[in-house]
Amino acid sequence: MKKMRGRLSTVHPVPSVGPQAPTAISVSEVTKKFRLDDGRELTALEGMSLELTTGSFVALLGPSGCGKSTILRLVASLEVPSKGVVAINGQPPAELAASHRLGVAFQDHALLPWLDVRANVELPFRVAGQAVDRRRVQDLIDLVGLAGFESARPKQLSGGMRQRVAIARALVLQPEVLLLDEPFGALDAVTRRQMNIELQRIWSERRITTLLVTHAVDEALFLADRVIVMSGRPGRVVRTLDVPFARPRQPDVMRSSEFHRLSDELTDALDSPSGSLG
Amino acid sequence: MRKIRSERAVSILLGITGIGLFLALWETIGQFRLLGLSWPPITDVLAFLQDPSRWPLFSRALGATLEALVLGYIIGLFAGVLTAMAAYLLPPFKPGLDRTSAFIHAVPSIALAPLLIIFLGRNSTPSALAALSTFFVLYVATSSGLASTERQWDDLLRVLGASRLVRFRRLNFPAALPTIASGMRLAAPASLIGVIVGEWFGAPRGIGVLIINAMQNFQIPLLWSAVLLTVLVSLMLFGALGFFHTLMAERFR
Repeated sequence: MKKMRGRLSTVHPVPSVGPQAPTAISVSEVTKKFRLDDGRELTALEGMSLELTTGSFVALLGPSGCGKSTILRLVASLEVPSKGVVAINGQPPAELAASHRLGVAFQDHALLPWLDVRANVELPFRVAGQAVDRRRVQDLIDLVGLAGFESARPKQLSGGMRQRVAIARALVLQPEVLLLDEPFGALDAVTRRQMNIELQRIWSERRITTLLVTHAVDEALFLADRVIVMSGRPGRVVRTLDVPFARPRQPDVMRSSEFHRLSDELTDALDSPSGSLG
Repeated sequence: MRKIRSERAVSILLGITGIGLFLALWETIGQFRLLGLSWPPITDVLAFLQDPSRWPLFSRALGATLEALVLGYIIGLFAGVLTAMAAYLLPPFKPGLDRTSAFIHAVPSIALAPLLIIFLGRNSTPSALAALSTFFVLYVATSSGLASTERQWDDLLRVLGASRLVRFRRLNFPAALPTIASGMRLAAPASLIGVIVGEWFGAPRGIGVLIINAMQNFQIPLLWSAVLLTVLVSLMLFGALGFFHTLMAERFR
């Protein structure tokens, strides 16, 4: 596969996570413009390039409005690039979506309120027209720690529990790619930390290629193999960091001095968008 | 919780007081003939309704009206919901269908009734008018319910690879059910008006017929009794469908 590098990643050469790992997601030279209601054009992304190797966990870190969600929506086939190419395993994202090989969780849990926990987790099977694998559904409900709540409705659950259901739902079809758009963004700090620890545990068991969009530094650092810091408009990469912590990661990683040092680095990169470009 | 309950109690109390005052005023005006002979005291009207010898008359009329109402309501309900679903699933046809149903709604049923009498006959006109009113309300309710699906649900189903039909079945339609139920509640009184108007134009029997005959023969207590029955039917339907709407909102929201 042709290795594609954007102009910014040339400034910061990106070492791959595993040298032999094939590319799972490639975003190359992508420009995305939106037409606003008043007729003006907004450039959300310009000449954006990034690559995710198979089985890696990459976090896009940036302030709101930096275009990080746009990248995720492009990879999710919810948007089409104005220029450039987005490919997952060499295919257009829409093809993966149509063959039910994408998993996704949004900031808003997007659980269907008329379905109980089990039915919400089963939804991807029904959408795909496949027979529901009850065993797998139950395993995932157990995995996210919701055993006993199978018949509860979303409104009976706490915010954290709803996001657990959303994570289980994203994983149920064993997707090739997992897309997480600030999945814990609406949760309080304590719950969020717990969810991060759980997601790390779940992810370490399956290692699905994952793209996480977040504005929380410690979340990105704790979960990802690589953190890409973005700044807006148009969105561009200002810093790429390979996270050195071995997996599975224990929560006390977050207390290490290395974690704090990297966290400060990323925060600096966030605060001074042009700084790390020199 | 307690606050909500006490607010509720106050509003019920105010409601009862209001109705009580209204009935007292009605009775006073009637007793003292303040508005002439055509305004009877409510006690006279109730006595008239309670007389068992008149029950066969009322039950025949009520039966005919309810039959026409149920038939017209169900036809209008299905036609409205199905047309709105078609408009949603076939976007090129939506503007045309929107305009057609608005046009149907804009024609006053009182002007349409004579046409329907000639076209459909006296027996079917009440149902037809009820169906037309119901159709429009349900068309609008279903359209707006289908259009208001939240974006994140739609995004989710798209990423999961759901076709438009699957999204409709799994998402848009269930999400629209509370709005459709709300439309069903609003359509009930409109539908009843359609039946009564249809009956005025010469249906063989029904509450509307009773109202017209009583008016023309100056049978004041009969006229008021028939009107009171209409109001009761309308309120009961509205209440029952309101309960249905609450259930649907509870289940699908």
